[in-house]
Amino acid sequence: MRLDIKVNAYRKPLETAGTLVHGRRKKWSTEFWMLLPSMILLAVISIFPFLYMIYASFMDYSLSFDEPTFNGMKNWEKVLTNDTFWASWGRTAVYALCGLSLEMLIGVGMALLIYVLPKARNLILTLWMIPLFVAPVVVGLLGRFLLNSTYGLYAWLFRLIGVETEILGNVSTALPAIILMDVWEWTPLITMIVFAGLQSLPEEVLEAAEVDGAGYVRRLIHVIFPLISRTILLALLIRMMDILRFVDTIKITTEGGPADSTKVIGYHLMEVAFRFQDFGSAAALGLSMLVVTIFLGQQFVRFMRKGEE
Amino acid sequence: MKRRTVFQITALVLVIIMFTGACSSEAPIDTKSKNADKINPNKLVDAPFEGWVEGLPKIQAPEGFDWKQFKGVQINVISENTPPSSALAANIEKFEKVTGIKVNIEQSDLGTVVEKVGLDFNAKSAKYHVIYADPYQILAKYSEHFVDLNLFNKEPTMPHIPGGLEDFVPTQLEVLGYMGNKEKLLALPYDNPTMVLAYRKDVFEKYKDLFMKEKGYDWTPRPGMTWDQYYDIAKWINQKVKEGVITEVKYGTGHQAKQYDSLMCDFSNILAANGGDYFGRKDIGTIGTIDPGKSAMTSKQALESVKFYNQLLKEAAPGSTSWDWNGLAEAFAAGEIAMAPEWHEFSAMFENKEKSKVAGKVGWSLLPKGKVRSANIFGGTGIGINKYASDDEKKAAWLFLVWATSPQSQYMILKSDLGGSTPTRSSVYELPDVKKGMEPGTKESEEMPNLLSMKSVLKAWEAENAYMRPKIPQWPQIDTYVFTELSKMIAGKQSPEQTVKAITEMVDEATGN
Repeated sequence: MRLDIKVNAYRKPLETAGTLVHGRRKKWSTEFWMLLPSMILLAVISIFPFLYMIYASFMDYSLSFDEPTFNGMKNWEKVLTNDTFWASWGRTAVYALCGLSLEMLIGVGMALLIYVLPKARNLILTLWMIPLFVAPVVVGLLGRFLLNSTYGLYAWLFRLIGVETEILGNVSTALPAIILMDVWEWTPLITMIVFAGLQSLPEEVLEAAEVDGAGYVRRLIHVIFPLISRTILLALLIRMMDILRFVDTIKITTEGGPADSTKVIGYHLMEVAFRFQDFGSAAALGLSMLVVTIFLGQQFVRFMRKGEE
Repeated sequence: MKRRTVFQITALVLVIIMFTGACSSEAPIDTKSKNADKINPNKLVDAPFEGWVEGLPKIQAPEGFDWKQFKGVQINVISENTPPSSALAANIEKFEKVTGIKVNIEQSDLGTVVEKVGLDFNAKSAKYHVIYADPYQILAKYSEHFVDLNLFNKEPTMPHIPGGLEDFVPTQLEVLGYMGNKEKLLALPYDNPTMVLAYRKDVFEKYKDLFMKEKGYDWTPRPGMTWDQYYDIAKWINQKVKEGVITEVKYGTGHQAKQYDSLMCDFSNILAANGGDYFGRKDIGTIGTIDPGKSAMTSKQALESVKFYNQLLKEAAPGSTSWDWNGLAEAFAAGEIAMAPEWHEFSAMFENKEKSKVAGKVGWSLLPKGKVRSANIFGGTGIGINKYASDDEKKAAWLFLVWATSPQSQYMILKSDLGGSTPTRSSVYELPDVKKGMEPGTKESEEMPNLLSMKSVLKAWEAENAYMRPKIPQWPQIDTYVFTELSKMIAGKQSPEQTVKAITEMVDEATGN
């Protein structure tokens, strides 16, 4: 009974910050003060810029003019009625669909392959990871050199069979080439995530399936995939978010061309913000991207939860 | 005092500070030398730089001027990664030794420079004290953020521009130094690449008779050659390459038609040669304006030029659609192309035996004539001072400007292995060795290979042959519209008619007309 009284006496001020503590009034709890620095940091680096972005999306905010002025929905109207905006989203969708499909196919396949390797598993995994350590700008430069029609390796190989190529300057090949560069760089990330998922598989379940006479393919379909499905979804989500803001390689290789064929939404945003210096429209564009990202994220989470149920 | 009262007083003080800050006018710049009282402005003394070149105006300061008065001041220079900046960076100790000023030169591609300068100006900060003031992408848009250099040049206690403003090429000074009017001098000419025609002398000499026999005229590139002839020659070379007659090159022509600024430059040569332009106003390319009026891309000349460019690109090397000026230069240096409109400063690269297969085989000429004239786009840039820098930094930056744009430094840049750029000073072109360097095969031309293109460039700088694109604040946007729509046309996505219509609509929207 005495103990109960002590506990209650200790708990009360924590639960009701702003009430009496040891006979005097305490406005804020200790936890609040401990969290305050990180809350300020969060406000400065995340919440304030976000709110400012919303504010900027309703302003005529161009560096060539004086102070920003309120222009209502004009930026939104400009962004949403622009053909380039929708075309860029279309290209982003193609890019995401093709790129992600390839990355998932190769990445998951490679993870499964490395997982069953009897030896040198770590060495192969490390070698496979190398593209991940290369900066996207460098990937763009590498791609540009390899695909250069004057001295590039691929142009030289094609010439051996009598074909003149111009990969980055051709509307039908520029985007696929950039997708392949992206696949080269980011597939190892999928492999790494899925491989980590595979390593956490319960041995007993796999052994039980094996004892029951299930072959590798059946174990893969009925045991392994269901168990790692959430890990795969997570990898997919991470890459999806990444692809939406993809810019670097395009900037280095094609500048969005030829004929806008590689202008994805991230590049369009960068162009409006930094080339046109039209920060109002860029803010509206950025917010539209945010809405899509949140929507996709929610769908993924919902899908994952469905799996759990 | 209660905490709430303290908070209220602090807030009130902050509001007053902000209000007075907003209302106060800009403080005048102190341009005087630190030891102004000990200076005799009536007598000029040579600056303590070494290695003066006879025949060029020297850097001078009024008697008593202390060149070390800004010792310890650091100035940051932002520049495009062009030859002059590389050459200055390599020789910066010459300036630092005399002045004690530390200079950090940051070089990036032009797009990055434009972004960084824009952000610096927007924040009204002075991370960069000396700005590479590209007239179309920086000066036109941010002219209000530059220091008026007249204030320093007319200050009796400071060093002045050696040789005077009249030593700069007048048109170049107008384009690179002013915006809207000539009241304020915002930048000093710093580099000045110009597009002219590069061609393979060996190919044109070897097949001259064959061409003459089949086509009936002398095909050697020279002033007066037309764009129609250029197209005809390119087509003929392509045909002869296919037949196996010509083996020295793979294509008659190559262009810088990547969806980029280079495509606009490449096309502008033809547009202006046919008497067209992006806007109707005549002084728009030199002094510049904030009100360009309606787009002139609806003109007959514009449509003809777009049609011709589309046709020409069908005969160009296929790589053209992915080449900017660098890509085109690499292809030309690799020996793939017989002729190409290119920035003249690539002459140094073409003559470099380690980087080029065409060293000693390159000729230069004015760009072909269109319906009206030969138009050679000018791409120079000036350097100016950020007005948000402190007074000491501004003065230190002025000393840097005086040194960097002086005839002596311009000559040094011309001779530098890292630079090899083109002097912006008329006096440099009067030097005997510079004159000799313009002749192929001379020792001087080997030392200063950019001079091999200079005869054509000097012609290109004459008012009737030069083309200056519009100098207006909206230019980065309009430039993007122009090259994007042209790229769509070249890729077969739209017709020339649709292209001019799209450009016109977008340009008028951007300029509010």
